[in-house]
Amino acid sequence: MITGLFMALVGGFLAYVFRYNLAFPGESIPLFGQLSAGQYNQFITNHGLIMVFWVGMPLLVGAFGNFLIPIMIGADDMAFPKLNMLSYWFFLTSAIVLMISFFVPGGAFAGGWTMYPPLSVNGYTDPSPSFLSAIFYGSSLMIIAVALEFTAILMGGINYLVTTINKRAPGMTPFRIPLAVWYIDIATVIFMFSVGPLVAGAFMLLFDITLGSGFYDPARGGDPVLFQHLFWFFGHPEVYVLLLPTLGVLGEIIPVFSRKPLFGYKPLIVLSLISAVLSVVVWAHHQFIAGIDPRMATFFSVATILISIPFSGIFLSLMATLWGGKIKITVPMSWALGMIGLFLVGGFTGLFLGSNAFDIYAHDTYFIVAHFHYTLFPSVFFGFFAAFYYWFPKFTGKELNKALGYIHFWLTFIFFNGVFFVLFFNGLGGQHRRIYNYEMFSNVAIEPYITFEKIATISAICLILSQVIFLWNFIVSWAAGRKAEKNPWQANTLEWVADSPPPHGNFHTAPKVYRGAYEYSVPKASEDFLPQNLQAD
Amino acid sequence: MENQKSLSLPSIKIPQGRLGIWTLIVGEFMIFGGLIGCYILYRLRYPEWADQAAHTSTLIGALNTIVLLTSSFTVVKAHEAANRKDLKKITLWLSVSILGGFLFLINKSIEYSTEISHGFTFSSPALQADGDTIGSLFWSFYFLLTGLHGAHVIVGMILMLWALLQARKGKNLHRVELSGMYWHMVDLIWIFLFPLLYLAK
Amino acid sequence: MNIFPESVSTYGSGIDNLFWLILAFAGTAFVISLFLLLYPLFKNHHTRVKRASYITGSLGKFHFKLVAVAMLIMAMSDFIILFAEHSTWEAFTTLPKQKDVEYIVTGRQWNWIFTYPGRDGVFGTADDVVIDEPNSELHVPINKNAFFQLKAKDVVHSFFVVNTRLKQDCIPGRTITRWINFTKEGKYDISCAEICGIAHTKMRNFIVVESNEKYDHFIDSLYNQQAATAGNQQ
Ligand SMILES: [Cu+2]
Ligand SMILES: [Cu+2]
Repeated sequence: MITGLFMALVGGFLAYVFRYNLAFPGESIPLFGQLSAGQYNQFITNHGLIMVFWVGMPLLVGAFGNFLIPIMIGADDMAFPKLNMLSYWFFLTSAIVLMISFFVPGGAFAGGWTMYPPLSVNGYTDPSPSFLSAIFYGSSLMIIAVALEFTAILMGGINYLVTTINKRAPGMTPFRIPLAVWYIDIATVIFMFSVGPLVAGAFMLLFDITLGSGFYDPARGGDPVLFQHLFWFFGHPEVYVLLLPTLGVLGEIIPVFSRKPLFGYKPLIVLSLISAVLSVVVWAHHQFIAGIDPRMATFFSVATILISIPFSGIFLSLMATLWGGKIKITVPMSWALGMIGLFLVGGFTGLFLGSNAFDIYAHDTYFIVAHFHYTLFPSVFFGFFAAFYYWFPKFTGKELNKALGYIHFWLTFIFFNGVFFVLFFNGLGGQHRRIYNYEMFSNVAIEPYITFEKIATISAICLILSQVIFLWNFIVSWAAGRKAEKNPWQANTLEWVADSPPPHGNFHTAPKVYRGAYEYSVPKASEDFLPQNLQAD
Repeated sequence: MENQKSLSLPSIKIPQGRLGIWTLIVGEFMIFGGLIGCYILYRLRYPEWADQAAHTSTLIGALNTIVLLTSSFTVVKAHEAANRKDLKKITLWLSVSILGGFLFLINKSIEYSTEISHGFTFSSPALQADGDTIGSLFWSFYFLLTGLHGAHVIVGMILMLWALLQARKGKNLHRVELSGMYWHMVDLIWIFLFPLLYLAK
Repeated sequence: MNIFPESVSTYGSGIDNLFWLILAFAGTAFVISLFLLLYPLFKNHHTRVKRASYITGSLGKFHFKLVAVAMLIMAMSDFIILFAEHSTWEAFTTLPKQKDVEYIVTGRQWNWIFTYPGRDGVFGTADDVVIDEPNSELHVPINKNAFFQLKAKDVVHSFFVVNTRLKQDCIPGRTITRWINFTKEGKYDISCAEICGIAHTKMRNFIVVESNEKYDHFIDSLYNQQAATAGNQQ
């Protein structure tokens, strides 16, 4: 988790550098200096790669899975503890390899995080041949890093699934498992099913770069579009791999602070399975303008818009949990509600892009950028922070500072909107992505878009600075916070039965489970909650 | 009532290791599935590849298929021996399986060297105007698929060797079965590759 | 303030209208969702509610139906959007029967190459005029169905003319034909919307839309010039 947070800082720093450059083109950037066009490309590429693969995946799938799955199902440890360590070392190595790629001749990979060939293969054949070798190191290292990272997540995934199937406490029937565990496991399954073709594609890409094969080279009978298909076959489900663990966490937090069972627990599982299946048949919506068959595009457009239906069901159920509950607003609850609010914006703007006709215009503009930041930022960061504030007392035995928690939430919420809301307008105004300097585009570099760029950049800087509050709170509370109660939120799930922090083996005596995870106000119980391992009478 | 109903352990209880290997196998199949899918798509687009496929040696391919199938069979034997805790038989059958892996690799390297000496290499040359080397990508796919499969053969052999060494000390007999499952997977992938690369001409 | 830049193609306004249509649906749904999210926070704050009700595992039938109905409404608005957008999609991707002029536009690192067919109207002949330089202009007549054969020489580029709303990736090894019918004279930007290397930012060319007389005049002098240089070389 710490590695993940560190990578978040790196990713954030990259974002700071290129956002600054967009608002104040050509000026020297504090803490960095002059940014060249080549570096700009490297930075936007690696910002994307890092945030998705080295922040989102380890925080949401890695950290949540390892901390939550065993303790929530009442197990003493993961099924394969050694495999777990191995998975972590693979992950760490992958992060180091990626970092090294910034310092090799020619710098890091710069062909966009989607790594479309032939750019990722041939690179900059013009003007000097030295560029050829430049792309060679950066992109080979990048592919190796991604491969190591996937291996790490796959090893983790095997572990999660086996743990959940085999190590449940007595009485923990499938439909008593907390939603968080369900959703992390479903996310793992989606990942394992979708990643194979991308690994295959990455092999071909790596050999195109290093060994001179021509899988993606039309001059040798290959086809560059093939890679796009393989990439997005994984790329779209990956969004759900990042979203589902967060939704699972919301499924824990919202009922606890509404003092009410989760609305529609079983339908929620079914809906997520439906969307998991749909998620592998929507990939080509990233390629509406890539010249695919128009009838195929229509099919993918329909499938894409259809996928909004199960997700609307999931979000409606989460919101329905609030109705008729006894709502307590706490720090984790604020993050959870903030996540829903922001994701709604991301989800509904997805309707614009899922419609293939409007996508012709909005594709590769800032409209897309704003849209996917409104989906990914809440899933990754709001979800992570909600979980962090919720489970911190459990895993450290210390309390976090509440006031700082609220300040952190509100600053993050406001500045996040400050960055990305204005960018919707820049996108509709026709500003296309990945442009180092808009000054020469006199048609789109006009007011109000110039001002919007500045608003976005200043907000981004403030957004990153607000995270200092979080780090401060984290470190100070851990070192010298007040001792936390065993079950401060009065929740039912098993992790709150264990000591804080949980000892080796999690529980003193193996727990037995009598009830689902979300039953509050059980009639005979003295309190309005009753941990899953206790009987009512 | 409902609460009292199920205090027993979860009903499906598959041994830990077997479950882990199954998940691994699913992941591996998705990787090979992706590659094979791409190969089939290209193959359908370029029927000319059949001319190239004619240069593969069906004889060695068939020989290798037999070798792998036999070693798969001996692995089953080893598993049976492990169930009976018959250490000698385990050693025998696992050694035979590993030997099968060696035979496969030797055949493969003979095949590779003849092919490479005929000028069929991994890197694909540029298309000529009349498209006569359009099938060169076939060889890229051929070497990629068989090479990756070969790497799996080596991994499978290492796993079996490991299981063998432990079994000789009487430890971790269940690993005989696990390495055997992995070996079956390697075998199964070959069963897909053989007709696609060798027989379709 | 206009949200979109000026539209100068026959189908451009279709995209703009589609945006407002989807915004109407998505906006309404968004406002309703926000209400669903925020109302209980005020209504059911724990200072106002004594004890939440006890519900075992299963949920109330009525509420379940409510969510189902909401999802159904969502599905219906989805289909209205799909239905509405389909004609716009067709307009972009289906070529009209009548072809008035045709050009080849090729993306390369890092400018667009324009090819005029020459007097014979056929590409690939000696009288083709190829213009391959940064910031050059392609001349197109107004109110005519102009066809563009989009190609790429090295890596993936994306042909994007903001004012017409048309964007199309150019893929090495493929030729994709799209069309534009300009409705207004002027000079419009062609930019590249797919990252294509270090000078992706500098990829900027122009389309100059002019009246038929002016265009004929321009093309005449262009071809004459071409013939003259070709003659000189021989
Ligand atoms: Cu997608
Ligand atoms: Cu370009």
